[in-house]
Amino acid sequence: MKGLFKSKPRTPADVVRQTRELLIFLDLHSGSRGGDAKREEKMAELSKNIRELKSILYGNGESEPVTEACVQLTQEFFRENTLRLLIICLPKLNLETRKDATQVVANLQRQQVSSKIVASEYLEANKDLLDTLISGYENMDIALHYGSMLRECIRHQSIARYVLESDHMKKFFDYIQLPNFDIASDASATFKELLTRHKATVAEFLSKNYDWFFSEFNTRLLSSTNYITKRQAIKLLGDMLLDRSNSAVMMRYVSSKDNLMILMNLLRDSSKNIQIEAFHVFKLFAANKNKPTEVVNILVTNRSKLLRFFAGFKIDKEDEQFEADKEQVIKEISAL
Amino acid sequence: MEKGKRRGGSSSSGPQAVARKRDQFPFPSRAKDYELLEPVGDGATAVVRRARCLPLGGEVVAVKIMNMSQRSEDDVNHASEEVKMMSTIDHDNLLGAYCSFTEGETLWIIMPYMAGGSCFHLMKSSYPKGFDEKFIAFVLRETLEGLAYLHRYALVHRDVKAGNILLDQHKGVKLADFGASASLYDPMINRHGKRKTLVGTPCWMAPEVMEQKEYDAKADIWSFGITALELAHGHAPFSTQPPAKVFLLTLQHAPPSLHNTKDKKFSKSFKQMIATCLMKDPSKRPTAQHLLELPFFKKVKFEDNVLKSVLNKLPSLGDRMQSIQENEAKLQAEKKPLDKCKEKASQDEYMRGVSEWNFDIEELKAQAALYPDENDGGEDEYLRFLFELDTICESAPIHDVQSRDYSKNENEKVFQICIL
Repeated sequence: MKGLFKSKPRTPADVVRQTRELLIFLDLHSGSRGGDAKREEKMAELSKNIRELKSILYGNGESEPVTEACVQLTQEFFRENTLRLLIICLPKLNLETRKDATQVVANLQRQQVSSKIVASEYLEANKDLLDTLISGYENMDIALHYGSMLRECIRHQSIARYVLESDHMKKFFDYIQLPNFDIASDASATFKELLTRHKATVAEFLSKNYDWFFSEFNTRLLSSTNYITKRQAIKLLGDMLLDRSNSAVMMRYVSSKDNLMILMNLLRDSSKNIQIEAFHVFKLFAANKNKPTEVVNILVTNRSKLLRFFAGFKIDKEDEQFEADKEQVIKEISAL
Repeated sequence: MEKGKRRGGSSSSGPQAVARKRDQFPFPSRAKDYELLEPVGDGATAVVRRARCLPLGGEVVAVKIMNMSQRSEDDVNHASEEVKMMSTIDHDNLLGAYCSFTEGETLWIIMPYMAGGSCFHLMKSSYPKGFDEKFIAFVLRETLEGLAYLHRYALVHRDVKAGNILLDQHKGVKLADFGASASLYDPMINRHGKRKTLVGTPCWMAPEVMEQKEYDAKADIWSFGITALELAHGHAPFSTQPPAKVFLLTLQHAPPSLHNTKDKKFSKSFKQMIATCLMKDPSKRPTAQHLLELPFFKKVKFEDNVLKSVLNKLPSLGDRMQSIQENEAKLQAEKKPLDKCKEKASQDEYMRGVSEWNFDIEELKAQAALYPDENDGGEDEYLRFLFELDTICESAPIHDVQSRDYSKNENEKVFQICIL
């Protein structure tokens, strides 16, 4: 009896190889109506294999993952185009297997083989896969799976740079405002990650692309009619401008009268959250030691209104930093 | 025999229902496509209403409407994680989302409507002493199927309780509210794949969660055991106690267990099932999958529709909700004002869950001492608690516990409420 339950032991590399073969089968036999039963069978087998990959990488609840097994798996996975096949075939997998596959891909981004991140090298040679992942935001069914794979991939600096420098960056302004909240907020999380994670790369991107990027940012996100979009955008703007590595970009941003006008409008927003986030950016305009004349003019013209506004501008919980910033802003504006 | 019962799993076809619906007849993501009907759940910053989806022939759904303007950025991110999880979940025993979108400052989550409401809710309105064993076995088995699915994806629910188990004559039993759940694979975990964040509701919270030790899916098994006791008696153990006392009782006493009462006898297998869930050492508790193999769940034969017999003689959810609220208001009005605010403070924490706790036995003892033992025992005390439907349980922000002044703030809050 015992023998019946024994299966021949498969190495992690075997599981990867079998997964790859099944993916190739699935890729070739998609759409064909005939042989459905066979396809179902292969699909079930594939699901099982992908689940097994996951349990090798993450452990199975009873036991911890084994480093050697993870190394073997990773090597075999990236030796050939398994990642490409998996990404391309993802829409054909059932929901459960998609989730397993997503977790496998996420984990592989961190696996090292002889202290090198193999996934990063593979992606650098296969950058078109990122195009595929990003376009996932246009397909409701796979958006969240591709989205979370994408966020794992841009942990690699070179990959984040590729995405930042690609035309895809423009598309994010659409994705963030998709009507489906789950997908829009996933895109928004990816966007934020791209613009905050790799400091030097982000600084370079923002200086090179300053004009179109902030023009889009101002008109589409900060002026959005969608409350969440606007709120997240103003927070992100503050995070970017207040980051030391972006100081040159910040100086440029706070020297523009148009930007100032947008921020002043946000200060009057009906939402307190947006007002507060807007204040954290507005204070940079006021604190700028070399304010251009056009900026000074606007501040002077609106001086009494601004001072009245700040006199009544309070936040719910005590915040010494906020009060100090406010004092400083009031002082700067009064002195103009 | 499964009798063709639809189950989550890669092979079955039934659980694809939500996903398929999305493809063929997607639920529209515009507020104006929904006609809002009566509220079926109510909370500080969220409300759940029954609604009709107009373009889909008036199909009845539940809409959770969360006001985002009062929420912190963390809360907003948290809500989006919850929604993402809900829309990628595909199991008969888990409450998924059809779609979600924003409308002004609110977030709308469109979900299946569960006409029976939650088990907590049902006990409050019609079964104050709990359910009979057969019904409990059915509800718990369905809940376990859902939990087993979550655990397979390394998701810890973190808030398993009767209030999060929803019923519907046709849709069955669904575990709801992923507001507190978390993935063991996300970056907040340590390298052993275990979490260290204090989230949940005190009465249902596992000892290791209270102590802020590392914990995993086994914490849900403890809560599951407590939930079993809750369904058997009509309330969770220690439910009349303030959170600080619940912590002490859970940590310093033997685990609660199931006993026969004057009116109710329970089977040995039921008692044993609960005892294995409530082992203080998490490694000794069974997994959800193992629990399903226990005689308590295996031996029970169910008639065609267990839920029907319990649910169909009751008034509608909206009516029940209203009558419960009226009763609560009456009871509240009869009480001394100080009592009321103390209870409100404790009840708020009780229902909402504590997101962070400064765990320190001495401090807890001091806090517990503030509450005299007046309401020890007395099941009726429990019924005096303010009613709050659980499906809209506030999202508990997931912070790794660091801030040591949390309990101080809590005290201040209690203090302020009493002054008012």
